[in-house]
Amino acid sequence: MFRFRPAPLRAAAFLAVGFVLLRAGYRVLFAGASGPGLLLLDLPRVPLAGPFSQVALLGPVTAGGLANAALSALPVAALILVFGVLNAVVDVSRLFARGAGRGPLRTVSRALVIAWATFPALLDSVRRVRVAGRLRGGERSIPALLVPVFEQTIERALALAASMEVRGFAAAHVVDGACERPAVMTDAALGFGDPREDGPDAGHGDGRRDWHLAALNLEFEPGTLTVIAGATGSGKTSLLHSLSGLFQHFFEGRQAGRITVGGADRAGTPPRDTAGFVGVVSQNVRLSFVAENVRDEVGFALAVRGVAAVIVDQRAREIAGRLGIEHLLDRQVHALSAGEASLVAIGAALASRPILLLVDEPLADLDAAARVRVCGLLERLAHESGVCVVVAEHNTREWAGAADAWLELRGNRAHRLRAGDAPGSAHPADGPAGLATAPPTPVAPGTTGTTGTTGTPLASIRRLSMRRGADLVVHEVSLEIAAGEIIALEGPNGAGKSSLLGALALPAARGTVFVSGRDVAALRPGERRAAVALVPEHADDLLFSTTVAEECRRADRAVRRSEAAGAAQPAADRFAGLLGLDLASAGHLLRRHPRDLSAGERLCLVIAIQLAAAPSLLLVDEPTRGLDLEARALVGAALLRAGRTASAVVFATHDRDFARALATRTISMQAGRAANGPLVGAP
Amino acid sequence: MIRAGGRWTAGILVGGSILAAAGFAWPLFAAAVPKDAQAAVPIVAFALVPALVVALALTLDREMYTAKTVALLGVLSAVGAAVRIAGTGVGGVEAVFVLLVLAGRAYGARFGFLLGLLTIAVSSMLWGGFGPWTPFQMFACGWVGAGAGLLPQVGRTGTRAGPGSRLGARLEIALLAGYGIAASYLFGLVMNLWFWPFAVGGGTGISYAADAPLGENVASFTLYTLVTSTLTWDTVRAVTTFAGIVLVGPAALSALRRARLPGARPRSTSPRGGGTRTHPSTAPGAAAAPRTGPRPSARA
Repeated sequence: MFRFRPAPLRAAAFLAVGFVLLRAGYRVLFAGASGPGLLLLDLPRVPLAGPFSQVALLGPVTAGGLANAALSALPVAALILVFGVLNAVVDVSRLFARGAGRGPLRTVSRALVIAWATFPALLDSVRRVRVAGRLRGGERSIPALLVPVFEQTIERALALAASMEVRGFAAAHVVDGACERPAVMTDAALGFGDPREDGPDAGHGDGRRDWHLAALNLEFEPGTLTVIAGATGSGKTSLLHSLSGLFQHFFEGRQAGRITVGGADRAGTPPRDTAGFVGVVSQNVRLSFVAENVRDEVGFALAVRGVAAVIVDQRAREIAGRLGIEHLLDRQVHALSAGEASLVAIGAALASRPILLLVDEPLADLDAAARVRVCGLLERLAHESGVCVVVAEHNTREWAGAADAWLELRGNRAHRLRAGDAPGSAHPADGPAGLATAPPTPVAPGTTGTTGTTGTPLASIRRLSMRRGADLVVHEVSLEIAAGEIIALEGPNGAGKSSLLGALALPAARGTVFVSGRDVAALRPGERRAAVALVPEHADDLLFSTTVAEECRRADRAVRRSEAAGAAQPAADRFAGLLGLDLASAGHLLRRHPRDLSAGERLCLVIAIQLAAAPSLLLVDEPTRGLDLEARALVGAALLRAGRTASAVVFATHDRDFARALATRTISMQAGRAANGPLVGAP
Repeated sequence: MIRAGGRWTAGILVGGSILAAAGFAWPLFAAAVPKDAQAAVPIVAFALVPALVVALALTLDREMYTAKTVALLGVLSAVGAAVRIAGTGVGGVEAVFVLLVLAGRAYGARFGFLLGLLTIAVSSMLWGGFGPWTPFQMFACGWVGAGAGLLPQVGRTGTRAGPGSRLGARLEIALLAGYGIAASYLFGLVMNLWFWPFAVGGGTGISYAADAPLGENVASFTLYTLVTSTLTWDTVRAVTTFAGIVLVGPAALSALRRARLPGARPRSTSPRGGGTRTHPSTAPGAAAAPRTGPRPSARA
């Protein structure tokens, strides 16, 4: 409630002084500064005409007149100061936090709490997009900064809203669930779009009139763990959220047939009303956090139901104990690591003791150790606590020991598999990263590139270090990269892979990174892009146009502006080429909004944009993050093709198989240090 | 977002706004009040406007209580506050109107009004600028957002310039940019109006005179507002707002409409040919994957 901040007081003092001066200024200008005392300025009086005839300008200025003006301003100035003191001492944001979720102003107070919790994310977002602008070769236009930040903000709002909805926010008609039948689908079908609507893309086949998934007859039992597998776009998330109700009530999907959860009809019951027995862990858990600290996050579902604060707190501590995260309870949610964030999100979903727990791709962002922990936890919830756990996942291998049943989505149908024929074993494609469609061999060293000559290295890195705050995240890394190499950078979360790539692309100090014999830190942005280009982990940050074609044109223009010896090939051609298409058959993609592309296509777009300046060295951070086999194959092939434009490619990845299938060399990182060869002892 | 009781809400909103407008314009009405009560007029205005802020917020609170609305309100008011605070360092470059106008247009007048209120509340909290002026700023910003929501739809559906067409999208941006300029000047005008008597004090040619005829006060006020902000701050604000809406308007509007708030204007004015994505994303931020093999459905 009370604390002291000097800034508001300073601002108020500034305003108060400004106010006094302003009033004196008005008096001088509008003939009000005359009076007794010393005559300072003898200005002529200028009467105005017409409707302003009662007003005169200027006139004599005396010391007494000015003093009068200042004195008359003092009451208001004092009022400004009083409010400055109040603002300095009272913490108004705490007042609003108390009212959140209750009382007649709960919308406003909850929105204020969300706004407050959004600031760290917003600052992060701005920082990231700024870096992205530099990576794109000094792209400094206003849309380049504002549009990606805005898109991320809206995305965050939607994720937050979904997360609040499934945790019972604004529930009006709470339903009780029957434990023995957590979820049953009878002859159900799921699809998007209004079947009667003739959409503008009706010309591209009648896809929108049809069901995305049909003939679903499924029953999910208590105490079991079911894994839903399938390619991106096969409908894993749709199926999962047809049980949570978000599909029907939030994403505007259509449902036919009957789906019940805990006996309640899903089509007629919005997620908020079943929050008492359905728990949901969304895919990007960081975006789903609604509170500022872990304690409030875990207790949110109970707090919005109006449970007494003491009980909410007790329950939060109990859950944290069960998940082994007591030490995190008072941590700010934005300060959690990826693994910790997943555990907190699961904890938050357990707050209402669900009988059905729905988890969307929990392993996507995690390193090996955190994956084992999350898998084990969900398995125990199913088999020891009797929860019906349903997981949508394309990383099927990790679940081999834990799952009781598998569903594979293929060709608009769900195929039920028994534990023996898990997709991991049934599909040989899960072997070497599914690179069946990729060209079999990388390009031979020395055959590409315009700058690298055999013998001297293309790039050399000399004792490169990087600090983030007090931590040394990259520690004196020295490396030589030859033309034609495709290097995989491996290592656990937090080993410094992204930091190393970032430092290579935008080195802070001179004398650390040399490409083709030139010091990267000393180059102008345009030249730097021709030496080294980075596709960052959040590749979307680089996109800000409303169509793919416009995005490509911008990239070409930027290269021409910088007068660097850019690629002869336009970015749109290259984008098509990376996807293995020609320009004509990629036409429908070029007309789309960049954010309407699939994740794999979008990554290829950013690679194409970053290749526009024909960099000698291309860096790609986590190209397979969140991609299924098909998309991974697409990106893998694109990287090989990119290797023909750039002289060398370095990519960071968690994905061993992907690394092995592509790379000519592996470099592993641990605690900021790099070593040649794969990590020893990693799974 | 018209529900049962929507008409009542509309009545309260309009009535409240008219009363608040009277609160803003107290210097022009004070002469009509009996002599003895004239001293009380500013005090009544200062109590009336905050009370109306609370009353209208209470009215809107019930109908806005859904997860999507609250999340969007919270997140967008954080953006607005950040823009507003970042702008104070650059000499009154109030880019916050860009957000209010676009959000009001995409999500409707009531959302726009509440967003204006909240943006001021959050930014005041952030830099500690609460004071008697805050409720007036809230109302003025709320009106800017609400006004954008009340603008007419551009073009007639089905015509070449209709909603959804390329030309329609451009016309819409032009309309919003024009509104942005008007809103910038009007905002400066109403903010000057209630504060004018305090800013100038007595004893000058443009001072507020409680017993002077209305025409004389209006003339004084006109000079005051011209000198104070119309020619300077308000012009800068109008230019910023116009440029902001033209530059980021198309992309930002399509991002806002993607969120599909229930009760918002139909997405048909989306500049992207209606291919709006509603697919729940799978991979991080993944978008709609190409729909695989159309099949005849069981029950379509």
